[in-house]
Amino acid sequence: MSGISLAGVKKRYPGGVLAVKGVDIDIESGEFVTLVGPSGCGKTTTLRTIAGFETPTDGSVHIDGNEVTDAPPYERDTGMVFQDFALFPHMTIHENIAYGMEADGDYTTEEIDARVEEMLELVELPGVGDRTPDQLSGGQQQRIALARALAPQPKALLLDEPLASLDKQLREQMQVELRRIQQEIGITTVFVTHNQEEALTMSDRLAVMNDGQFEQVGPPEEVYNDPNSRFVADFLGTANIFDGTVSSVENGYAMVDCDDVSIQAVVQNGVSAGDDTSVVIRPERFRFDDGTAGNADVASADGGTNAGGTTVFEGEITFKRHLGSSVEFHLETDSGREITVVRRSGMDKRGPGDRVAVSVAADDCRLVGA
Amino acid sequence: MGSDTDTSADTDTTPATEAAPELVADGGTATSSDAASGSDATDGGDSGRAGLKARAKWYALSYPLFWLVAVFFIPLCLLFVFSFWVNIPGGQYEFGFTFENYLRFVSVDFTSSWPFIEPGLYLSQMWLTIELALVTAIFSLLLGYPIAYYLARMDRPWLRSLLLITIISSLWVTYVIRAYAWQVILASGGVLSSIGVATGILSEPQSFYPGYWGLVVGMVYVFLPFMVLTLYSSIRNIDGELLEASKNLGAGSVKTFRRVTLPLSKNGITSGTALVFILALGSYVLPRLLGSSAERTLPVLIEQQIMSESNYPFAAAMSIGLILVVMVFLWALIRVTNVTAGSLGGSEEVATDGGSQQAGSTGTSPLAKVRGGFGNAASAIGLTAVAGQIGSAIDSVVTRVDANTRESVIWVTFRVYVAAAMAFIAVPLAIIIAVSFTPEQFLTFPPGGFSMQWYVEFFTSESWMVALVNSFAIAGAAALLSTTIGGGLAFALDRFDYKWSSIYGTFGVLPILVPPVIIGVAFLVFFLELGIAGSRTSIIVAHGIFYAPFPFILVSQGLDEIDRTYEEAAMNLGASSLRTLRTITYPLIRANVISGALFAFILSLNEYIIAWLLSLFLVNTIPIEIFNSLRYGYSPTIAAASVVFIALTVVVMTAIDRFSGGIWE
Repeated sequence: MSGISLAGVKKRYPGGVLAVKGVDIDIESGEFVTLVGPSGCGKTTTLRTIAGFETPTDGSVHIDGNEVTDAPPYERDTGMVFQDFALFPHMTIHENIAYGMEADGDYTTEEIDARVEEMLELVELPGVGDRTPDQLSGGQQQRIALARALAPQPKALLLDEPLASLDKQLREQMQVELRRIQQEIGITTVFVTHNQEEALTMSDRLAVMNDGQFEQVGPPEEVYNDPNSRFVADFLGTANIFDGTVSSVENGYAMVDCDDVSIQAVVQNGVSAGDDTSVVIRPERFRFDDGTAGNADVASADGGTNAGGTTVFEGEITFKRHLGSSVEFHLETDSGREITVVRRSGMDKRGPGDRVAVSVAADDCRLVGA
Repeated sequence: MGSDTDTSADTDTTPATEAAPELVADGGTATSSDAASGSDATDGGDSGRAGLKARAKWYALSYPLFWLVAVFFIPLCLLFVFSFWVNIPGGQYEFGFTFENYLRFVSVDFTSSWPFIEPGLYLSQMWLTIELALVTAIFSLLLGYPIAYYLARMDRPWLRSLLLITIISSLWVTYVIRAYAWQVILASGGVLSSIGVATGILSEPQSFYPGYWGLVVGMVYVFLPFMVLTLYSSIRNIDGELLEASKNLGAGSVKTFRRVTLPLSKNGITSGTALVFILALGSYVLPRLLGSSAERTLPVLIEQQIMSESNYPFAAAMSIGLILVVMVFLWALIRVTNVTAGSLGGSEEVATDGGSQQAGSTGTSPLAKVRGGFGNAASAIGLTAVAGQIGSAIDSVVTRVDANTRESVIWVTFRVYVAAAMAFIAVPLAIIIAVSFTPEQFLTFPPGGFSMQWYVEFFTSESWMVALVNSFAIAGAAALLSTTIGGGLAFALDRFDYKWSSIYGTFGVLPILVPPVIIGVAFLVFFLELGIAGSRTSIIVAHGIFYAPFPFILVSQGLDEIDRTYEEAAMNLGASSLRTLRTITYPLIRANVISGALFAFILSLNEYIIAWLLSLFLVNTIPIEIFNSLRYGYSPTIAAASVVFIALTVVVMTAIDRFSGGIWE
């Protein structure tokens, strides 16, 4: 059985805008699924459809096996954390957390008090029950919003960009915290974000959304390494994308003719000569090809079983920046193409103006539809 | 979805309890039964919910519309019909169709000398009414702008609060008492005359009223606070950085004022002037109490036709004439300033204009919000140009002086001026307090001693006590009624989509745009038919509708400002629509609801002309009682009554404020 399932969900707004063009997903019980995409892609509408704030124009929504497509929000048993937390300003923290249980009517006052304490412990903020929301910091409000959503023991946790309003450091801390709590109680969770890094680091599975549809659904590594479309490749992380035409296919490898360069790439789906395609190369897949220090750490993504050849680009470094544990280089190839290369930080002395050659294994070059 | 849901609910709830171990550990059975009942409710509710919503939409609207259309608008339209009926001298009238009433209204006199034709009594009095309203508006603007500017720009918050409270609280006092204060000041033997004699300027006591200029002073006194508060919120709204930028670019104080502040406060100037003009146009009490028979304005003439001549059709015709003046004025304002009728009348307007102005001001909040409803306009009707010319004249005089001296001279002049203007606002009421303790039988100033006898007389007089009880009972009931009407309409328009929502919104603000004397006449005619005229109920209903725009505007704004996410969060946590309304929506707009009710309460408490027309001499309120007593002189009992009434008003306001958790902050 599944925690949440959406079948053919479409949402057309009164103005005629088709915000969601038909999405299908089965979310396992206890699974953490992230809907990620640029603003306006329909991810929030999809989440609001699950919560019951929007009624789908077509399709159905099931939560915990029950159809709730047309049920009002208060009959759905979901717990939502809103972008700006929406802690009730006229109530104390205790009253906020107790609100859902009081609305349920199934709890005694003692049970509610105990549960509020339990939730405050869970989010590591014991003793703030008597304060009001405006007396808490952004990070604390975030935790209280989570505690409030979880207190009535909902069947699913819905998170609408809850980290967007926090500063970077707090955001990273909350990413870990949120995931810890989610795993601790094992609640089915749907998380909406436009932040691709959050999507990659937090989820069991992520669904990349674009223009009202799912582009790709899968575990983060899979979606990152094997994007199935140019959009996904571009949206998640940095991608070097080369448009071209397949000139030949041999032994599971395709030769792709991209005007200035021919790239050999591994074939995962059927392509044949003459197809228009795009080659996606992640910046960390390149290695410097001049036999110096940068070479030693290199292995192919699939563990060095590189049956195909390599493609070499020569050019000049135009820009370099340190990213902490890694270094990013921008190269301008001799044919005028811009390439981004990321290497592990080291004693690398290369810098802007240096001529270099980089190579990439065929197994690290992935084909996506043009 | 029907049968689908049932089967899925039956088959899937059991696995659900197994699959979520943590969650179900202490409530497994509850969860499964919840799920089942939840889906049942959904099933039954689906079509029902849509149907309910459609029905709720009209239920919600029907209550306020019943009052605003059936009880208010239709009688108002009937007034129009009625103005064509035939009057039978002696207090009767009958159905018919005649232009006689209008012909009488617009009649002209022919004379033998040039210009051979002169407007008749009623036309010339109509022109006088308009002229008085214009003069009042212009003086209020010229006097009020410096006060508003000073208040908005001063940096001592406590003093600002004090001054604002003084200005606002003068609004809580009935026109009758304030007109009385000016009688005390202007009468022979009054304050001004006594001072004049004492200082030798006057050789013998002289009365400065009734008459044109006494009336103008009284009108400006009464309407100045509206102007100041309107201008204040508009000037306060100007970003201080703009002024700093102007000075940084080398402009002096005067130039900054002329080129930055003044143009940016145009909206305030327009709305303030329009507000004062409309209020002055419909004013009855002041022309009646401070004007001579030459200053009988249209409202006074209308009242006379009703109460003395019993010529209802002619009063109706004059009412239509007065309404036309208001409409022409509004139309001209809209044409000149490009505001839409919708925004003048209302609801969307409240959000933008009132909302932003509200942000900065503290003490004035409810008034600033209410004022927001009266309209946001683009350019003033020539007044800006006048003010601008005065500004540049000052500019050329002072540019010769060096900058520092100039600044300090300006500010000293300013302070002296503001102090004088504040005295103008505050002193009349102080004089009443002084008079109430006089031991003498008749009005003298300064009082020759101290005595409580007039308070004793007040509290032992049955008619004053009855009036006091009536005033508070009527105001309380009227406040409740207008809050349900205005609040209900605001809620319906906010929550549901109606095809004609802007028209419904206009109904919400319409009553306050109609001069009260006309409301009184329309209700009187209507209630006479129903047989309830001359009762407290009739006054309650009239006040409840007349003041409904205040709660309407305030509640609209409150609903508009609520972050809907709070309501979504509540529903997500399992609260039904009704519970959400009760525990989230209402608490978040409570301050707006209560200020709306308070506004209606205070205004009803102090209202004279509608109550007077509907009383048919059978119901007394404090303003009516004071007004009646004034016919027989200035007995200090009136002053004592005024002081008690004002004190009780303040007590009630403070009490409600306390109980409602301090909405004035």
